[in-house]
Amino acid sequence: MSYDLIATLMFATMMLMLLTGQRVFGAIGFVAVIAALFLWGDRGGYDLGFSAAMKLMKWYPLLTLPMFIFMGYVLSESKIADDLYKMFHVWMGGLRGGLAIGTIGLMVLISAMNGLSVAGMAIGSTIALPELLKRGYDKRMVTGVIQAGSSLGILVPPSVVLVLYAMIARQPVGQLWLAGVVPGLMMAAMFIAYIVIRCWINPVLGPVLPAEERNIPRAEKLRLLRAGILPLVIFATMMVPFVNGWTSLVESSAIGALAAFLAAVLKGRMTKEVFENSVRNTLGITCMFMWIILAALAFGAVFDGLGAVKAIEGLFTDRLNLSPWMILILMQLSFILMGTFLDDTAMLVIVAPLYVPLVGELGFDLIWYGILYTITTQIAYMTPPFGYNLFLMRAMAPPEITLRDIYASITPFVAVMVLALVLVMMFPGIATWLPEYVYNKP
Amino acid sequence: QSKITWRLQTYAGAALAEHVIKPAIDSFNMIAGDEMQIELYYADQLVPTGELFQAMQRGTIDAVQSDDDSMASPTDVTVFGGYFPFASRYSLDVPVLFNQYGLNEIWDEEYSKVGVKHISAGAWDPCHFATKEPIRSLADLKGKRVFTFPTAGRFMAQFGVIPVNLPWEDIEVAVQTGELDGIAWSGITEDYTVGWADVTNYFLTNNISGAWAGSFFANMERWDELSPRLQELLKVCMDQSHYYRQWWYWGGEASLRVDGTKMELTSIPDEEWQTVEDAAVKFWDEIAAESPTKAKVVEILKKYNADMVKAGRPYRYGKA
Amino acid sequence: MRKYAYGFIRGVDAVNHRIGRIVMYGIFVLMGILIWSSVSKTFFMPSLWTLEMAQFAMVTYYILGGPYSIQLGSNVRMDLLYGEWSLRKKAWVDLITVLFLIFYLGVLLYGAVGSTAYSLGYYGSEPFSFFGGLITGAESVGRMETSPTAWRPWLWPIKSVMILGIFLMLMQCISELLKDVLRLKGETI
Ligand SMILES: NC(=[NH2+])NCCC[C@H](N)C(=O)O
Ligand code: NA
Ligand code: NA
Repeated sequence: MSYDLIATLMFATMMLMLLTGQRVFGAIGFVAVIAALFLWGDRGGYDLGFSAAMKLMKWYPLLTLPMFIFMGYVLSESKIADDLYKMFHVWMGGLRGGLAIGTIGLMVLISAMNGLSVAGMAIGSTIALPELLKRGYDKRMVTGVIQAGSSLGILVPPSVVLVLYAMIARQPVGQLWLAGVVPGLMMAAMFIAYIVIRCWINPVLGPVLPAEERNIPRAEKLRLLRAGILPLVIFATMMVPFVNGWTSLVESSAIGALAAFLAAVLKGRMTKEVFENSVRNTLGITCMFMWIILAALAFGAVFDGLGAVKAIEGLFTDRLNLSPWMILILMQLSFILMGTFLDDTAMLVIVAPLYVPLVGELGFDLIWYGILYTITTQIAYMTPPFGYNLFLMRAMAPPEITLRDIYASITPFVAVMVLALVLVMMFPGIATWLPEYVYNKP
Repeated sequence: QSKITWRLQTYAGAALAEHVIKPAIDSFNMIAGDEMQIELYYADQLVPTGELFQAMQRGTIDAVQSDDDSMASPTDVTVFGGYFPFASRYSLDVPVLFNQYGLNEIWDEEYSKVGVKHISAGAWDPCHFATKEPIRSLADLKGKRVFTFPTAGRFMAQFGVIPVNLPWEDIEVAVQTGELDGIAWSGITEDYTVGWADVTNYFLTNNISGAWAGSFFANMERWDELSPRLQELLKVCMDQSHYYRQWWYWGGEASLRVDGTKMELTSIPDEEWQTVEDAAVKFWDEIAAESPTKAKVVEILKKYNADMVKAGRPYRYGKA
Repeated sequence: MRKYAYGFIRGVDAVNHRIGRIVMYGIFVLMGILIWSSVSKTFFMPSLWTLEMAQFAMVTYYILGGPYSIQLGSNVRMDLLYGEWSLRKKAWVDLITVLFLIFYLGVLLYGAVGSTAYSLGYYGSEPFSFFGGLITGAESVGRMETSPTAWRPWLWPIKSVMILGIFLMLMQCISELLKDVLRLKGETI
């Protein structure tokens, strides 16, 4: 059997296994070890699964993962974000669709305090969602807002996805993070523009808040703005020492987690229950990610052993004989396609190592590509049949929101994301300007 | 008769392997043709470096290019691989030690005990510091987190260096993420070749060893299965790779020191550096006390270096 | 039969629950190590051991916490089809696919045992009989593998933790399997 065929078969089997609804790490891991046994038998086929565990242990940036997850849960469980939400509520409520706009603002701030999307999802669906539904907002619109907004968590720094990408592409994390700022804000602005336009045309989608809810004394209104300070402080305690080189990346993530924890304690929000929930959920989610990465590393090693990198290169450059831009576009498309099925961490570990070297060889800037890559990942995270948001939304959303609603809700936002992707592709400066400016990169 | 396929994993990442191993493997594959092919894997690609030795014993991979120290081989010669402090001055010292001073025999014996064939030892570049901040005195070394070899790190720890070990491919980013302040793992040729020169600013001209000692190894059963002809071809190609590196590094070091623009050269004055060389003498004795085999190797190293000093210029200028 | 199944489920779930409840506080251990790393670097000498120690802590955390995370239902599934199925259908499909999961864990465990035997100085190809021999005294510990760093910690402790964790994960999955069987027999679990 040719190697290409085996590789294709592996992918197909994995997809099939995933469809059965077995736990993702089981599906990926099983295919990996079976393939290894089949290919290498007793000459090492048995060891491959475990040696991935040793590889994982040495992959130091993964240490940031539990830290960011913990941070996210502390922020969401302790309801520190409630004040933030109230701030947006009062300030934006007077506009058509104002609460939805405010929710996007909230998501941007949460994203700046966290490296993943999970926190945003949790906060959005527990705090914002019920409020918005109560105020008569269109349920599809708000479900979409929360899913799209929370996905900004991996584009706006800090970002775990960009850290892992940095390791694979061997690009500086600091610059990658900075590169995510403008596209992140741009995307948020585009979401807002979408909301404004929709609600302008059809005001029932996002009714204006009743006057009595908005007529709050001016002083009180200003006081609410103070809620915005906290995210800035947490963002700064994490980013300033890191960007200045005083602390390393993993240390910064621990400092961020500690800062969030202390903030909750100081605000008197760290009740026993909050503590319990944050600690327990952190374990659950960390384990989920780690076991998936463990399996995906084994899968990737077999893939690598099959020479998949060369096969892909050969396919794009020799066999199809395409121009660099065509290849890039095809890669993004296939990423999105695979992303609908695959979990984004698994995709990062399995697919990125195949593509990134090729992108470099074609002469594209890998910092810029990191942003393209992340936006694609965001899309993957959103699109059915597989995505964490779908999984989480199901678990957290009130019963009146059906699976069909969840699926339908994302369509316009995915369209906006694709538009953002195209914009960053056409105008690389959107991503590269800030890091160049800050690091004065030639 | 069907084609034999071997999997060989090197310690080097792709950028470096382009020079230190790939040409040799390409030659081998070309000559061996339908009889045998070697698939080359880079650092941590199939198995993580820490598991490399075990993987070779078990046959997950058939052959390995690495040094005894980095792959933590379970032998008594582990510490001497890589950069045993001040063991050699020039890259020619290494083959002389192995071929004329008896190291080959010791290595052969040690590796046979653990089911591994030691095929051939060769030399690489010297071990220098590449750092973000300049090093101009021993005091500047204090507290620097540096990617280096286990034994060299253990030795340099007495001068305040904090040795750190990470997967090779992660080094460049680790310097950028602040996990590392520098690297003491190679000469300047590699710093430029693999991109480390882009993330560090200074190159210290004093080195803790003039040449890396590393080897090719194979799973013993796999080796025995090869015809004598293939064994010979394998040996010849590996030796050819040593030759390639001789000129590649030797010429590269000189020209980059002269014409390189990415790193500023700094030095620790000779008198001060003497402290480090003196410490090495003590370190050698500590190692020798650990086992008879180690004592034997240290004795050989001492004899060799004494001979070189006696031989005078151009073998040694001043003290060893 | 049924009684044994219940016994097994109860036993395994209880052990894993307890271990998970302890390990989950490991997040603070990890945080502590990393904070110490930055404090010591800023104010004193950086420590040799922090990065590796953090890695060990992390591995312990996610490997030993794995079974509890299964109990918590944190492990994502693609629920496109699965989500719509009846409980019975889910049980049927799970019953089969969990075998794949168990197989994967079995291979993982095999690798872990081999690697741990190696870390205790055994270089042969029958790691299980080596451990058997250790107990009966027929085999003895050889050269202990150390991490190739200047700190040089032994590796057998972390590898043993991994054996334990993977084994418990395996048990948890078997427990899930038994639950599915019982569910299909019409019991409510
Ligand atoms: N197995 C190793 N880690 N060897 C390191 C060799 C170091 C040397 N500077 C080279 O790359 O050629
Ligand atoms: Na973020
Ligand atoms: Na998806």
